Amino acid sequence: MAIRHYWPTAAAAVGFRLVLVLFGGDLHLASRPEVSTPLTSLRRLAEGYWLKQASMSPYSGSMYHGSPLLLSVLGPLTNSRPDGHHAHVYSSLIFVAVDFLAAMLIRATGQKLQMARNRSLKSLDLTKALNNTANVSAGDVASLIYLWNPWAIVTCVGSCTSPIENLMVVTMIYGACSRLAPLAAFGYVMATHLSLYPAILIVPVILLLGYGPDAPPPKLFLLKGSSASKSDVPDNDKTGRLRGVQQFSWKPVLHFLFWLFIWTCYVLLLSSVVLKEVGGLHDMFEKTYGFILTVKDLSPNIGVLWYFFAEVFDFFRSFFLIVFNMNIIFMVLPLAIRLKHRPCFLAFVYTAIVAILKSYPSAGDSALYLGLLGLFANELAEMQFTFFLFFGYIGVSLLSPVMHNLWIWRGTGNANFYFATGLAYTCLQTVLIVESVSSMIKHDRKLRLLVTS
Amino acid sequence: MASSGRRPGQSGPPRALNILRGLLLPVLLAAAAAAEPTATIHNNNWAVLVCTSRFWFNYRHMANTLSLYRTVKRLGIPDERIILMLADDMACNPRNSYPAQVFNNENHQLNLYGDNVEVDYRGYEVTVENFLRVLVGRHESAVPRSKRLLSDEGSHILLYMTGHGGDEFLKFQDSEELQSHDLADAVKQMKEKHRFKELLIMVDTCQAATLFSQLQSPGVLAIGSSMKGENSYSHHLDSDIGVSVVDRFTYYTLAFFEKLNMYSNASLNSLFNSYNPSMLLSTAYYRKDLYERPLNEVPVTNFFGSVMKTLHTDAAYTGFLAAHDNETSMSIRDNLHDHSILKNGATARQSKVEKDAQLTPHGWTEVLLEQLEGKNTDVVVVYGLATMGILLALSTWLSM
Amino acid sequence: MAPPPPPAGRIVFLSFLLTAAVAAAGVASAAAPGQEEFTEELLLRPLPDRKALAHFHFRSSAPPADSVGRHHHLFPKAISQLVKKYHISELELSFSQGRWNYEQWGGFDPMSTSNAKPPGVELWAVFDLPLSEIDVTWKNLTHTLSGLFCASINFLESSTAFSAPRWGFKLNEGNLRYGALPREAVCTENLTPWLKLLPCRDKAGIASLLYRPSIYKGYYHSQKLKLRSSQSVGIILDQTLTVVLQPNTVSGKQLHSTRGQLQPNWSMRHLFNRKLSGKCLVSKSSKIFIEVDKGIADKINKTGSDLPWNNEFFKLSNYPDRLIKDLNELEVQSSSLYEYDVSQYSEEQPFDVGITWKLPLIWSCVPSPFHASRFLMGSGNERGSIALSFMSTNLHKQIFGSPNDCSIKAVIFQVVPWYVKVYYHSLEIFIDGNRKTISEVVDKIHVTPSEDKLLPGTLEMLLRFPCNMQSATLTLDFDKGFLHIDEYPPDANQGFDIPSALVSFPEFNSARSYPEIDASLGSPLIENFQEDSIVKSYTEALLVPLTTPDFSMPYNVITFTCTVLALYFGSLLNALRRRISEEERELKKTVTRHGLIRLWLAKLRGQKVDPMESGSSSELAGSKKLLFKVVFVAVAAVLFHYFSNNS
Repeated sequence: MAIRHYWPTAAAAVGFRLVLVLFGGDLHLASRPEVSTPLTSLRRLAEGYWLKQASMSPYSGSMYHGSPLLLSVLGPLTNSRPDGHHAHVYSSLIFVAVDFLAAMLIRATGQKLQMARNRSLKSLDLTKALNNTANVSAGDVASLIYLWNPWAIVTCVGSCTSPIENLMVVTMIYGACSRLAPLAAFGYVMATHLSLYPAILIVPVILLLGYGPDAPPPKLFLLKGSSASKSDVPDNDKTGRLRGVQQFSWKPVLHFLFWLFIWTCYVLLLSSVVLKEVGGLHDMFEKTYGFILTVKDLSPNIGVLWYFFAEVFDFFRSFFLIVFNMNIIFMVLPLAIRLKHRPCFLAFVYTAIVAILKSYPSAGDSALYLGLLGLFANELAEMQFTFFLFFGYIGVSLLSPVMHNLWIWRGTGNANFYFATGLAYTCLQTVLIVESVSSMIKHDRKLRLLVTS
Repeated sequence: MASSGRRPGQSGPPRALNILRGLLLPVLLAAAAAAEPTATIHNNNWAVLVCTSRFWFNYRHMANTLSLYRTVKRLGIPDERIILMLADDMACNPRNSYPAQVFNNENHQLNLYGDNVEVDYRGYEVTVENFLRVLVGRHESAVPRSKRLLSDEGSHILLYMTGHGGDEFLKFQDSEELQSHDLADAVKQMKEKHRFKELLIMVDTCQAATLFSQLQSPGVLAIGSSMKGENSYSHHLDSDIGVSVVDRFTYYTLAFFEKLNMYSNASLNSLFNSYNPSMLLSTAYYRKDLYERPLNEVPVTNFFGSVMKTLHTDAAYTGFLAAHDNETSMSIRDNLHDHSILKNGATARQSKVEKDAQLTPHGWTEVLLEQLEGKNTDVVVVYGLATMGILLALSTWLSM
Repeated sequence: MAPPPPPAGRIVFLSFLLTAAVAAAGVASAAAPGQEEFTEELLLRPLPDRKALAHFHFRSSAPPADSVGRHHHLFPKAISQLVKKYHISELELSFSQGRWNYEQWGGFDPMSTSNAKPPGVELWAVFDLPLSEIDVTWKNLTHTLSGLFCASINFLESSTAFSAPRWGFKLNEGNLRYGALPREAVCTENLTPWLKLLPCRDKAGIASLLYRPSIYKGYYHSQKLKLRSSQSVGIILDQTLTVVLQPNTVSGKQLHSTRGQLQPNWSMRHLFNRKLSGKCLVSKSSKIFIEVDKGIADKINKTGSDLPWNNEFFKLSNYPDRLIKDLNELEVQSSSLYEYDVSQYSEEQPFDVGITWKLPLIWSCVPSPFHASRFLMGSGNERGSIALSFMSTNLHKQIFGSPNDCSIKAVIFQVVPWYVKVYYHSLEIFIDGNRKTISEVVDKIHVTPSEDKLLPGTLEMLLRFPCNMQSATLTLDFDKGFLHIDEYPPDANQGFDIPSALVSFPEFNSARSYPEIDASLGSPLIENFQEDSIVKSYTEALLVPLTTPDFSMPYNVITFTCTVLALYFGSLLNALRRRISEEERELKKTVTRHGLIRLWLAKLRGQKVDPMESGSSSELAGSKKLLFKVVFVAVAAVLFHYFSNNS
């Protein structure tokens, strides 16, 4: 069931962005803590570019913490300032294109997932059973969610580099879903290079390449197979069903690892070209990855870690740094074991976890995982608390700017109020993750019941 | 260019010098110890006077401290042996209508901030950390002697503190607290390090008595302005200055000392008995269970002045001679060393300049970079990224 | 940006400086080398806004260390030890309160260029050491000075507090360190140790005039210590104290109007509450000067009065020993100095010179080419911008005439603490209200960007303004940083200071020339006036309010954050762990247990029971799995133990 007015709606979203970029004037979104973080701020990128032009290391003077490649691509654009538009209008136009591209890739991923789903359900003889429930075209839904998500729009218009990071993550998932090893490796390397945290997505990518896109648990196919063998069915039908159980194929994975190596070398080479004479790669690693992992900047954002590290006693600082960074890694393995048959969903859960626990979270990260959430519209149809979550997200995104304004600009509020919205937001995201994971597990169980009954 | 050698480099020679000094020090100490008699006698006096309050309305705390400062100086403790900590600048505060003057009485007879005040720690330096460092003597090596409490096992120390306090704590600058445990620990460390023979702690805050509850080192005598649950009040307000200028407890302490001079024989007991609860509006508290000597035999100048017994020795004192020899040998080496540093200076600087001029090579990319020399790196990178895109498209197409 | 000059150049420069100093110090020091000397001088000057300026100058000099060893007669031992220990070739330490009023009190004379200092403490030093040792030496130096002068100079030891300017402050080759503490209080306790460096302290001589309450009542107060040392000349220590006072006269009824009013008459007794009772006996010379500005001197010259100390405008209470006239390049007299020698006065016959005005007089001091001021823009605690504005005083027209195509150079040196994160790319320059591109105005720029909690940002900039410009404004955007709660001072809500910026005009020289007097006079004060010094002015220090977190929250924040993260971890792990199929099996098992009796009954009746079989087989499989798990864990434990023992 495709969405009727897909293309007009998508075009309208792009048009809306263009209108905001070209005629919205300076919305001052670039300085919003929800939108731009020290890692993604385009203003800091401009400062880094200026320092580099003055033959200094772009990383000297704790301003820029992003990739040197972005510096070369976006830096020259920040220099020119057309009259009548705000400072970063050229970069914003690029971000609109990038966002559109990401939406298209999400749509393509959704279609791949849909095909795989239909195939596997067919092989389980469940098409009829599921046809009575709503069966929407997940790709269309997801891409529209991504395009019309107010946070994605704000991120795109608000001159920060998150759209590019999001594009790279989406590219990686798309590449892995369609088993294009070079593309997946490219997305993976670039995403990791830009923001480090996507590094943990290597697990779903390898699973995707090895097993193919999401499918019901392999046990079901075995169950079905065994039940089928009991009742005498023709042989050709049986083999067709067993085809649903994918064996782990090493070839694309090795292919992926090979390309991973190539792209890594290439990116490092380009980075060192940019940074020759001004610093070097060591400087880059220290000021990007080191900055991410040690939470040096304590300026407020929508997360909770900034206030935590502003208040925590100095002698506990390193301990908590380790704990919070490990917290992300702790959940990688349990999730991978439990959801290994649904690597694409696994990628979504990882992205959401990263969005909660990363050191400088922003609305752009949330925009990404909410977009990916749309890919599982069919599987997660019976998710609980959706009403609560929906209005919780709206409430937080309205309250957070208000509290920030009261604290920073008017001086009548207090840091605690803003921090409270951050806490609430983290709780909401937690509920979202837990609910989506458990409803996916429930969905699998429902399939199993359908198969066995 | 940006990094102009700002990082503190490790300097070899001074460290070697320190080691040399470290080696010589025990020798000095041994020489001094050999000459000294075994039983420690009271041979010097120190005073640590602390005002822990910031802000203009706490003028009286500074006046309290300065009054005590003036008294102990009058009674003979020299400035080198007084550590004065003042948390704010009242004398030259813009709100003070008497610039460079501080008074503790509305008759303005006595300028406490005379021509010869030496403040050792002031403003933001008055922190709990610095206070404890002064007491236990663990400083950074660069801290000058005037900021250290260089007492020894023959010292009598007067520790006077005033500020705002509560049950078992004393506030420093309205942002930190000194707890009774901290104070007791510091005193214990001082005792173990032989930093005092006798210590008198005098505290003028609300609930001052609670600050002494954890003390357990022998030789410590403590006086507080009020018991637990009681407040210590200010004495009177000066309407010219606009704030209260002195606290009651300190006021009556000073009233007692004004009658004395360096040669008076008033005992500590008479000081303690001079506090009248009805005048103080609080009950002064003494803790004397850690102090062995009977209080009516100890003159107040034992702590508040610098009066000590004269010691007659039969033989000539030899300790300093040995120490002097050591010192001269050290200074000669010092000079030699200085010369070598000066000589090396110029050459080192020159080599540094040369090093700056060189470019640091980048390993395996060097060959490639030589080719790219002269081009704008941005252009190169944009080409590189374009190549990357083409390569990506090609490889993706091939693997489809 | 410019490569550092070769060391040879530096030596040449140093030796030039030293020779200049020697020549200026007079033949006396050349004739009798190895003699420690002390001179004391005081300069008094009426200011246009009815105030009076007093400038004390004390110079102690010690010959090179080799000739006398380590003993000193007059020279303070503390200073010579300092110089020796830290290998200082130049050092200047100033304590100031109040701000020099460049518009009223002048901006183009030696007083304003070398004695007007930023509020608080300013310290700079040039070391004669290898570059790698300088930072450590600086740290030790700040501690020593803090002990010596009873001030918190040791706060300059942290690398966030000092910087190493290359050419914006003073040309050097990386061995200069500069630091400023704008908020440091200056009071008696700083003056006392400063006076203790003088051989007579404040007991005799000119220093005995320093009655603390009257000094600290002034509008501006700056106490300075300047050291120069070298192998050939030894150590020269200049101690100056500059105060601007309101004369304490009875007729001070209308203090704030200047038009049509007589200037207040004053004498030394009025200013200091003291009279001078003779000189400090060990001083070589002891002199008092009264200076009248160009504005007054011109008027006197016009009237052609033959008695310069008693003309139709004013009368000096004492007959001066000498009149010294300053002639500038155009041989026009600009100001005059009346000199008094105080050595002939004594306790019984104290010296008290004063000025009595006869006619109302309005004059103005010579301003600097541009009046520089600095201010903050923006609101809120997130970001803002620093603006530096220049207003032309049209001085160049008097000096250069008025060619239209000329330009004036200005050097800006500014240090910004790290928590004010300046975006240097946002530099914008407006000249007479029109935006200019950077390259049009900026000749040379050197930026050391600030590193969080490590380095302050330093900006050195050489600008070239067109002569006909009336006003220029430079703006720089910044973000305000957020600090850890321990990094806030106790009075965090008062705000944080940005130290004064220094603006200098290298094409303008404020040196005076006194062609009538010979160099052998040996007055260090006049010598200093004759030294080359470019026109400088300090801007205001800025106060930036920063956002504060809640200082009482650490425990709450830690517990809340950890609770939320534990909630995430626990609930997600729980969701993953719960195996619905197993739960169902458990459920089934209880059902079967309940039905056991029924089953048994059924068996008794001889019926076949199916579920039991399947149940046992699955149980068997389950126990196998369990066994496997136990073995796996055991093997893992053994391996871990083995490896951990090995390593």
